[in-house]
Amino acid sequence: MSYALNTGMQSDSNIEVHRYYGGAVLLVSFLALVIQAFLHRFGRWSGLVDLPLLVTIYFGVSRRNPVSGLFLGAGIGIVQDALSHDNPIGLYGIAKTLVGYLASSVGARIDTEHPISRFFLVFLFFHFHQGVLAVTERVLLNQSLPFFSPLLLMNSLASAALAVPLFALLDRLRRTS
Amino acid sequence: MPEILSRHRSLAVLAATLAAQVLLLAYQVKREHDVRLLRYWAVEIVTPGERAGTWTFSKIGALWDDYIALHSARTENEHLRAEVGELRLRNRELESQAAEAQRLSVLLNFRDAHTEAPMLAAQVIGASADPASHTLFINRGERDRVRRNQPVITPDGIVGKIVEVFPATSQVLLINDKDSGVGALLADTRTHGVVKGTGAPDPALDYVVNDEKVHEGEVILTSGEDRIFPKGLLVGTVADEKPGNPFQTIHVRAAAHLDRLEDVLVLLTHQELIPKETLNNRAAGSTGNGEPVRQEPTGVVQGLLEAPANGPPASSKAGAQQPAPQSRTAGAPKPAASAPSSTSPRSSAP
Repeated sequence: MSYALNTGMQSDSNIEVHRYYGGAVLLVSFLALVIQAFLHRFGRWSGLVDLPLLVTIYFGVSRRNPVSGLFLGAGIGIVQDALSHDNPIGLYGIAKTLVGYLASSVGARIDTEHPISRFFLVFLFFHFHQGVLAVTERVLLNQSLPFFSPLLLMNSLASAALAVPLFALLDRLRRTS
Repeated sequence: MPEILSRHRSLAVLAATLAAQVLLLAYQVKREHDVRLLRYWAVEIVTPGERAGTWTFSKIGALWDDYIALHSARTENEHLRAEVGELRLRNRELESQAAEAQRLSVLLNFRDAHTEAPMLAAQVIGASADPASHTLFINRGERDRVRRNQPVITPDGIVGKIVEVFPATSQVLLINDKDSGVGALLADTRTHGVVKGTGAPDPALDYVVNDEKVHEGEVILTSGEDRIFPKGLLVGTVADEKPGNPFQTIHVRAAAHLDRLEDVLVLLTHQELIPKETLNNRAAGSTGNGEPVRQEPTGVVQGLLEAPANGPPASSKAGAQQPAPQSRTAGAPKPAASAPSSTSPRSSAP
């Protein structure tokens, strides 16, 4: 499997920008939300991975467009809030907006095609996402969500591990020129 | 500004998206007492400005009220002081008028109670320039049918008698003048004497022998023996008494306020003053059984007096004038001076 920048269009900074088939982004995002909701049936194990976060990161680093990345993150996060039981609308939206924006920015500067880089990228973005959530909850909701815990570490590792094959699977949705 | 936004378009969009979501979040989140976070923020942002504005305006208002606007306070203060002075003066005038009305009302009531006796209301317009002389001037004179030796009274008690008559004024000799003498009797014991002026503010009752029991507070009435004052008018009360030689020394507390007279009545007759009610009762009694009705010692002291159980009626000889004061006590020496001569030593010499 070659991870060279060879399948997309060249951006202004000579970084390849990938295109996807029509509706692929929306469909994948929708499936991620549905599956994440479905995972709640498995109880405590459902928190191991955050599929909407993984989708946000993937399309952010792949499309490398900060505006579309932040809008995608905002949309996924708001729907995720709407599907939750008691989250105010915007809590995940803010966090995933920032993740989408940063992922797009990072994807335009470093190599995000290699599995190891994807693993660490997802690991870091998971904790960034958690940090933004914690800050938002502390500042706006007056609640003390932890910034870091062993459980969060385990979740981040699980998400990062899942991200590697998931991203490879999603790479198949890219439109070849 | 547009250039900066276009250059950092993605950052601007990020900021706008985040702001929108934060506002959305703030709209939903409720803090204590169910207050939405958005409202809480709005209040927290706006109220410091409002507080600062209120503070500023209050300080400016206080500065204006306490310093700048005070330029007219001095003038206003002067106007108010002048107004207060005028109002105080007006108040004194009204108080004076009210007091005068009160006095005149008392005089009028007294006159109405004695319609059978002609009397003339007069105002005191002056007094003697001699401190040792207790006389005063009234605003009634010869034109008003005032004559010498007419009694001058108030509803409280007798005042004195007319000693000089001028066309429009008259001079009154008060009963506490050392030249004055009034035929009098003690209401309880019916003991006669003469109330004489001593030059002091209060007169004295003379010619009462030491054997007579006189007690403090006993009422003293005119006896009518001086042929000036009608019988039964209130002179005063016994202030204190002590034995003397040959007569007791009895100080009298005059019933009339001799030191602050303003309105008086001049009696144009010497007949005894009998209130209308007594006259009516007497008329009814005489027609009923044909016997004369006992005349009560009335006058300005109606209701004050009670005749002693074993003594003669105080006014059994209604209208009669005693030729001279005399003690009813057996063996008592006769008073040295007769009433007419003793009561008006100045009557012939103004």
